[in-house]
Amino acid sequence: MSVIDILTRVDAICNKYDKYDVEKQKNLNVSGDDAFARGYAAIDAEIEAALEKAELASKEKSKASTVALNAELRRTKAKLLDEVPKLQRLAIKKIKGLSTEDLAARNDLVLALPDRIQAIPDGAAAAAKQPGGWGPSASHTEIKFDSDGRFDDEYFQESEQSNQFRQEYETRKRRQDQGLEMISEGLDTLKNMAHDMNEELDRQVPLADEIDSKVDKAASDLKNTNVRLKHTVTQLRSSRNFCIDIVLLIIILGIAAYLYNVLKK
Amino acid sequence: MSSDPDKLVAKADKLTKLTLTRWSADWRNATLNYEQAANAYRVAKKYEKAKDAFEKASKGQEMLTSPWDAAKHMESAAALAKELGNWNDVADLYRRASELYVECGRAQPASDALGKAARAVEDHLPDVAVQLYTDACSLLEEDDKDQMAFDLYRALTAVHIKLEKYTDAAAALLRLGLAADKCNASNSQFKAYLSAIIVYLYANDVKAAEKCYNDCSQIPAFLGSDQGRCGSRLISAYSEGNVEEIKRVAQSSTITHLDHAVSSFTLLFLPRLLAECSFLPSADKCTIASPHSDGLV
Repeated sequence: MSVIDILTRVDAICNKYDKYDVEKQKNLNVSGDDAFARGYAAIDAEIEAALEKAELASKEKSKASTVALNAELRRTKAKLLDEVPKLQRLAIKKIKGLSTEDLAARNDLVLALPDRIQAIPDGAAAAAKQPGGWGPSASHTEIKFDSDGRFDDEYFQESEQSNQFRQEYETRKRRQDQGLEMISEGLDTLKNMAHDMNEELDRQVPLADEIDSKVDKAASDLKNTNVRLKHTVTQLRSSRNFCIDIVLLIIILGIAAYLYNVLKK
Repeated sequence: MSSDPDKLVAKADKLTKLTLTRWSADWRNATLNYEQAANAYRVAKKYEKAKDAFEKASKGQEMLTSPWDAAKHMESAAALAKELGNWNDVADLYRRASELYVECGRAQPASDALGKAARAVEDHLPDVAVQLYTDACSLLEEDDKDQMAFDLYRALTAVHIKLEKYTDAAAALLRLGLAADKCNASNSQFKAYLSAIIVYLYANDVKAAEKCYNDCSQIPAFLGSDQGRCGSRLISAYSEGNVEEIKRVAQSSTITHLDHAVSSFTLLFLPRLLAECSFLPSADKCTIASPHSDGLV
């Protein structure tokens, strides 16, 4: 037998012998003074029973018993629905020693009852009814706060800590703003300079192109001139001409020496 | 060749004078002599004589059909005239030089020459300077070299502002804007428009400033730009007589990045405004076109 089985069996046994639990009876009796609590507890118990029956019905194999069980469920539901208005009237009544919170809670519980009753599956299409229940219940609900509604003066009182915190927050925020302003100014200057640089470069582009073409032209001219110069120089100072020059010089010197000799004599 | 400049000049003159023995002037040698003489005079700081020598050399080069050299000599002559302080001479010589440059087909040096002339005489003959600047700008625009014209327009604006001719200054700025538009230099264009608006406001002509703003807002980029927003704030602050707002706008970086001549205005704005605040009608109807995006300021 597993743990879960044990637990379920224990639960079932406890439920069976609850009526012998003196403590619990006493607690129940305390709320027994309250008509609403009694009525609500009764209806609650009946809803639980009906749900159990519905489960049985869904598990039933034979159709006849299912139909019978469903019919009984429907009768129970109708009876319960009739008792709900009575309970509602009781819920609105103010009881001594009951807080406003509890009163509102009771109202809610009563309003939720019809939905729960309808929700008990009885073979009919019960699911469609559910959304319809939103409207009326929403108009009576209020937003609930955790603090149980104790919004007295002390709650909003400024404490020392919160003041300090707020001040610190303000100073830091101011300092950040200052820093951001300085950054923004710097960025503005940068943007301006960048724009000016952009325009200046745009201005320089056609000039650079002109320089490029002019330099190309000059370079080609220079190459031409160099080639021609080389031609001329080689022509002028080719080794053949050089030799001819030397030979002729020697011949002239020879003739001069011969003449000199002849004349000396 | 004697290095005495006087002798050189005398020799060159002789070469150019036509006499019975000489039927055609020998310009080449003469020009050479003139140039040498001029350089010698310049070194000796005899500016008057140097200027004359340069002028003659320039004429010689013209005769030799080399306008470029002629123009160069003219410029040197004009620079010397500047040293001497003959402002009329300066203007004339530079004009002549620029004409010679145009003959060469080089608009850029021509306008440079006129610009130099204008800068030289703007203190003494501002009207002549204005004329020179305008001519320089038109030379560049004819040659599609608008970019170079920006500086000239700015200088022209400064001259106008000095002469306190605010409508002329604003007109010059708008022409700057037009030139910038042709080159797609949007930053300069918007700065020019904003400066024009400020100039109109300085002349206390709020209507003209508004009209200017509306005209410039036809260009959608201007509306959404820093300068456009600044302009609209300035105009609205001015027409409301809101000194605080004007002070704040004037100290914003957009205005400080403008031309010095214009941004110094906004510092002068305040005293004038404080004096005239009481006379400004506070319920001035402002017909400013609403900016498209006004949330980035």
